[in-house]
Amino acid sequence: MNDHISFLIEKLPVLLFGFSGQRPGGLFLSLILAVLAVAVGFCLALPVSGAERSRWRPLRWCAVAYVELFRGIPLILLLVLVHQGVGGVRFGLNWSPRTSALVALALYSSAYQAEILRAGLAAVPQELVESARLMGSRPRQVYILVKLRYALRVMLPAFTGQAISLFKDTSVVVVIGVAEVMTVARMALGADVTNAPYWVTMYSFVGILYFALAFTLSRLSQRWERRSRPSDLAHSFFSY
Amino acid sequence: MTPNWLTPDLLNLLLQGLLLTVVLTAVTAALALILGVAAGTMRISGNRFAGALAVLHVETHRNLPALVLMIIWAFALPNLFPPELRRSIFFDNAFLNWLSGWSGLSLPYYTLAAGVALVLNTSAYLAELFRAGVGAIPQQHVDAARTLGASRLKLFWTLLLPQGLRTSFPAISTRLIHHLKNTALAAFVATPELFHSAQTAITRTFLALEFLMLAAVVYLLLAFAFSGLLRWVEKQWLVAGG
Repeated sequence: MNDHISFLIEKLPVLLFGFSGQRPGGLFLSLILAVLAVAVGFCLALPVSGAERSRWRPLRWCAVAYVELFRGIPLILLLVLVHQGVGGVRFGLNWSPRTSALVALALYSSAYQAEILRAGLAAVPQELVESARLMGSRPRQVYILVKLRYALRVMLPAFTGQAISLFKDTSVVVVIGVAEVMTVARMALGADVTNAPYWVTMYSFVGILYFALAFTLSRLSQRWERRSRPSDLAHSFFSY
Repeated sequence: MTPNWLTPDLLNLLLQGLLLTVVLTAVTAALALILGVAAGTMRISGNRFAGALAVLHVETHRNLPALVLMIIWAFALPNLFPPELRRSIFFDNAFLNWLSGWSGLSLPYYTLAAGVALVLNTSAYLAELFRAGVGAIPQQHVDAARTLGASRLKLFWTLLLPQGLRTSFPAISTRLIHHLKNTALAAFVATPELFHSAQTAITRTFLALEFLMLAAVVYLLLAFAFSGLLRWVEKQWLVAGG
């Protein structure tokens, strides 16, 4: 028992921040990847959700195809496809594993976020939009200050759920060798046969790390939603 | 018809992978649905012990990435045992040899472990969805059943199960499609399913883009077919059947 604990303590800094002398890795990198992918994914989701509600049919079809494509294929396949197929040497891109991971995760997340955003935009009450127009707002103001704001608030639980799910999904980037917590755990165990008894300890600990973060984040977001939601909705009705 | 990079033996390899993906998805999805409904029911049963057990299952397996779960079951668990014991428990016994001969898998334990991890992971989500579906049943229906003198078992079979499944089925379908995509993770623990056989084909031919695109198209078609099947099930059994 004691040797298992001391093994974990010895490897803990590596698991959290990656190997010293290299670029940051470990759980820290998992978090950064998730945050960046959600942010980039949101920027991609905005035009896609707009295109899905476009009046011009071909544009709508393109947006639907985009969402169905990236929601329909497994993330592990998308990662390898981006890394070996698109970002590989064939097209002269030669992306690093980190870049490929970020691109794949952002595309994956953007498809889900576009769907959430579309549902949120569809839920904006027409009266709200019309009264904003009557007050003389420009289309852009209506979109950003009324529609988007309302959609983001209504869909907040869905967005946080997606972000937490994406954080767990970052574990999959181990297939292309990004030095996040799964890869680091694998490397720390190595091919050393004497490490075999520590496998369960190590991966269970990685599991506990994921669990602790995912569980805390989901509880925090629940509390945040409960606190902010009713007053926010009232606010958005009364102040426009 | 077939392009020249898709030789017959590679096509055969991919088809075997496809078959395993379909079988793995079907079996684990069915088991996950049963376990999920069971866990969801335990949580609403009012029995404190059963409820706590269900909460433990749901929270553990929902907050762990499916891949971590798979690696724990497939790679870490056998390492708990000394080598000789490990061999006889996980890799070389009558049951596994029979399974290997019957299914053609060289190391069936890894596939079983991947399946167990998938069932646990998806059932945790399904339990919550089913519980939410039961929660949406109008109180009058439950009151009416009680007034008519339905036993708890009868109440479950005739009201909670069918109505709970019906209300939560759209969400359950979405999760099951996600489950189909999650089976690709099993490739990481040496399960020769579709994605794994695509990777094997790539190591033989070095044609990454071709085989990955092919696999992506097949997964898309599988997802469409599966969602069509689930919609059919919903229409046939849950809406019309009452």
